Amino acid sequence: MVNVTVDPLTRIEGHLRLSTEVNSDGIITDAQSSCLMFRGFERILQNQDPRDAALLVQRICGVCPTSHSLAAAGALDQLFGVAESVPKDALVARNINQALNTIASHATHIYVLWGPDLANPAYRDVLTPLGETGSAVWKELLGRFAPISYKLDGVPVPVGSSYLAAIPEKKRLQEAIAVIGGKMPHQVTSYPGGYTYKPTIADIGKLSSYYLQVMDFVSKYTLRVSFEDWIENTYKASSPQKAVSFVLEHLQGLVDKTAGSNNFTREVGWGDAEFYAAFGSELVGETLLGLPASLKHDRNGGYSDPSKIAFLAYGAFYKPENGDGYDPNSPAGDRFQTSGIVTGNLEYQNFDASKITESVAHSFFEDSGDLHPSKGETFPVTSPEEISYEGGSDSRYSWSKAPRYGGVPCEVGPLARLLAMKEPLVTGLALAFAENGYSAANTYTRMMARIQETAIIANELLKWVTVDYDPNGKIAVHTDLSMAKDSQGMGLWEAPRGALGHWVSTDSNSKVISYQPVVPSTWNLSPRDSAGVPGPLEQALIGSKISAAENALGVDYANPVNILHIGRSYDPCSACAVHTIDLTGKNTPRTLRIV
Amino acid sequence: MRWTLKNNFPFRHIIWVKKQDVVEMNTGKNNLVRTLESVDFLKMDRRTFLKAVGAVGATAFLGTYKTEIVSALKFAETKIIWLHGAECTGCSESVLNGGNPDIVQAISKLNVNLAYHETLLAQQGIFVDGKLANTSELNSEILIDELIEEGNYILVVEGAIANGPDGSGRYCVIGNRTFKEIFAKAAKHANAILAVGTCAAYGGINCADSAVAKVTDYRGVAFTKEDSSKGMLQELNLKKPVINIPGCPAHPDWILLTVGAVILGKIRIPDDLDAVLDLYGRPKVFFPTDHTVHENCPRRGFYDRGEFDEQIGGDKCLWKLGCKAPYSHADCAIRRWNGSVSMCTQAGSPCIACVEPGFPDAARPLYVEAEDKGVLLGANIDTLSKVAVGAATVAAGVHAIRRMRGE
Repeated sequence: MVNVTVDPLTRIEGHLRLSTEVNSDGIITDAQSSCLMFRGFERILQNQDPRDAALLVQRICGVCPTSHSLAAAGALDQLFGVAESVPKDALVARNINQALNTIASHATHIYVLWGPDLANPAYRDVLTPLGETGSAVWKELLGRFAPISYKLDGVPVPVGSSYLAAIPEKKRLQEAIAVIGGKMPHQVTSYPGGYTYKPTIADIGKLSSYYLQVMDFVSKYTLRVSFEDWIENTYKASSPQKAVSFVLEHLQGLVDKTAGSNNFTREVGWGDAEFYAAFGSELVGETLLGLPASLKHDRNGGYSDPSKIAFLAYGAFYKPENGDGYDPNSPAGDRFQTSGIVTGNLEYQNFDASKITESVAHSFFEDSGDLHPSKGETFPVTSPEEISYEGGSDSRYSWSKAPRYGGVPCEVGPLARLLAMKEPLVTGLALAFAENGYSAANTYTRMMARIQETAIIANELLKWVTVDYDPNGKIAVHTDLSMAKDSQGMGLWEAPRGALGHWVSTDSNSKVISYQPVVPSTWNLSPRDSAGVPGPLEQALIGSKISAAENALGVDYANPVNILHIGRSYDPCSACAVHTIDLTGKNTPRTLRIV
Repeated sequence: MRWTLKNNFPFRHIIWVKKQDVVEMNTGKNNLVRTLESVDFLKMDRRTFLKAVGAVGATAFLGTYKTEIVSALKFAETKIIWLHGAECTGCSESVLNGGNPDIVQAISKLNVNLAYHETLLAQQGIFVDGKLANTSELNSEILIDELIEEGNYILVVEGAIANGPDGSGRYCVIGNRTFKEIFAKAAKHANAILAVGTCAAYGGINCADSAVAKVTDYRGVAFTKEDSSKGMLQELNLKKPVINIPGCPAHPDWILLTVGAVILGKIRIPDDLDAVLDLYGRPKVFFPTDHTVHENCPRRGFYDRGEFDEQIGGDKCLWKLGCKAPYSHADCAIRRWNGSVSMCTQAGSPCIACVEPGFPDAARPLYVEAEDKGVLLGANIDTLSKVAVGAATVAAGVHAIRRMRGE
């Protein structure tokens, strides 16, 4: 058995360590996911004016600040008793802000954080011996996805074309948020009862212009088939089978047209999404399309026991057709992306927030049993010697807690959301993998879900901007601090990387008693719970082969490319996944936590 | 008049523009007012430059960057090591939003080698049976050690540095080393340090008052809040030239123009630092001692007329909604954000003084009018007097207006 540890897992937000035991076949037999930092950030809102939350909580994460801000605004809407009356146009403005943030975050993940692993030299070694097709595929991988300051065998590699072209788009999307959000990161417009800025007709024009420019990038780099055709035949397909068939036929057409000449360039129709859709998967690429090779990302990052995993979504994006106000409980079907739980066997159930518990059995905290977040206690270790990451699976090894839904670890993020909303393409892919002996969730479906979600939200964004938002509408309802006396609020929302909830309660002076964000990366990166069940990322690592294309060239412990793929496929944000400490033990109800 | 075809963007648009005015369309930069206000400070000789940053307030000083001029010059490579401590990556996100110059221009035209940046680099830490594996092409832990040992780099720090618990620094551990230890090693061999963002400069949100702040004991590089004796450098008994570029996040222009000025020799380190930095280690050109965000606020006219919003969603002065712009020493209101499209107060949200050493405590409660905030922002005697004067002026102004209206 060989210990292979990735620390730090770079190209994520925050600091994360993945420690694995690997057998002589190159298969991971044990894994620990460790969040390495404790900020104590959570306590700063205690005894403070609750309205500060929507601005300050953004500092949890500079990649998805809008999400934290809007989860906070949701909690404050309920705290102030105005959730049912927030004007429709404020809700649409929030949607637009979040949609831009989600698209920017996904694009950054796909091209800047995750994509560079496709240019890992292991793929050169696997692909180039496969003749002209393999060499052509490697040329595309390196030419599109190589990051800045990259070298292979001492030779500097030019920055990948897709990587380079994506950076100005990310900047453009941030600029679009600034138009209606003041600045980015850390936009400033979320506030209980509405939105601080009323976007003008000129702003709508600007947003439309940004949208068209970003879609130019998409049509040139990401998706070479017409965007409208794609949406019509996947997201709006009448069944999962039809959505998958459309994609397979489209890819088959590209293969028929270009495989003979080994030309996999964008110019002949292989956008980055099409390229990855075909070559990323063994089932799609090799079995169904008859390609000679694939990256086999569908073979790793899956779950072996469907009873020990579920997919969780809190729901996000208000439906403009519902008019003013919204239900803070996010009941099934109430939002554009619905709340819901999808079991490991892909059965949908309604979400029930009371089923969430948290365990600290393997976290750097004193253990007081598994508790609901609202009753959670957090007494961390304070002696330096106790903070050790090398004690193995039985030890305490992370600053993240282990949240569970009905006792089951949950994956959150694009895959969970699209399964919950029964999106045809991703549902169809998940079913196809399950029926063919693969895990429905795997590195490939996780990435395809992120790509597809970007497209779906972009499609909806245009409607919110040009159809639903009324620049003459009302943007806020009256609030004052006295409305927040002795109150409670819950903000259920979705960050780009998954389900995000904020809970707040106040005293008779309208001061914060407790403020608790429960963030997506705590679900995905969680350590073991009190029953010893590993978290989702840990489960996804265990049973996977560590080296490129299922150890095609044998086991390379020193380049565990699949650990990198699997870890990064969750788009980790470990800075979010940290906790407060309460040294006195007297302030249990006042404990503020970022879970 | 010479015209040139500009088609180096990944879009179908082909834009004909004047050669001396090559700018991106649709980003707000092709703006006459902005062009007129701009001073190309990188083009100035050093003497004029120092005079300008010493004497001219941000009102008259923007500083833009002309790539044609810079690209005609040849520079030795400048190596940058960018470390992340307790942070949210917002400042890294922000620097990618740079437009004046943008990050790619800065790297290619100024010959910057961004040698280590945890969010961008290809490498990661890889240990096999506890031993470092592979080479610096794949292993970031080998890379960082090699880079530090080579020396001759500018160290950029994003995020605060944990000193707790008990001085061990173990509340932030990366690659089996405390961040405190990594910072100490990198700082020791650095030519100079840029503390980017309020967390690295002053501790920021990590140092906000709470029951746990003493235990986590987060530090800025050379300051903790207003205290220049509590920086991590002082804790480690290290002396290094430090430039603070606060902001939550820091504006990309502040970061990239500072880097540009250092590389171009406009700011000599350490000789010129006393002249160009304020008492909190900030470049005065971006964080002017005698200028606040309030002076150029897009809503300033409403203040002057005594028209104030008391609920969000309006377009008048935000003073009564807690705006701290009169206490905030930054050029946000002229420079604006994200391609100059907006800024906090323009979007109806009060300034929260995120560039000040006392952020966020000094600005809280964020939405409450702050007539008596002068004593809270800026503990230093010298700035205190200025801030207090500013506060008094604001308060007097508001009161005068109230009196005028018979309130």
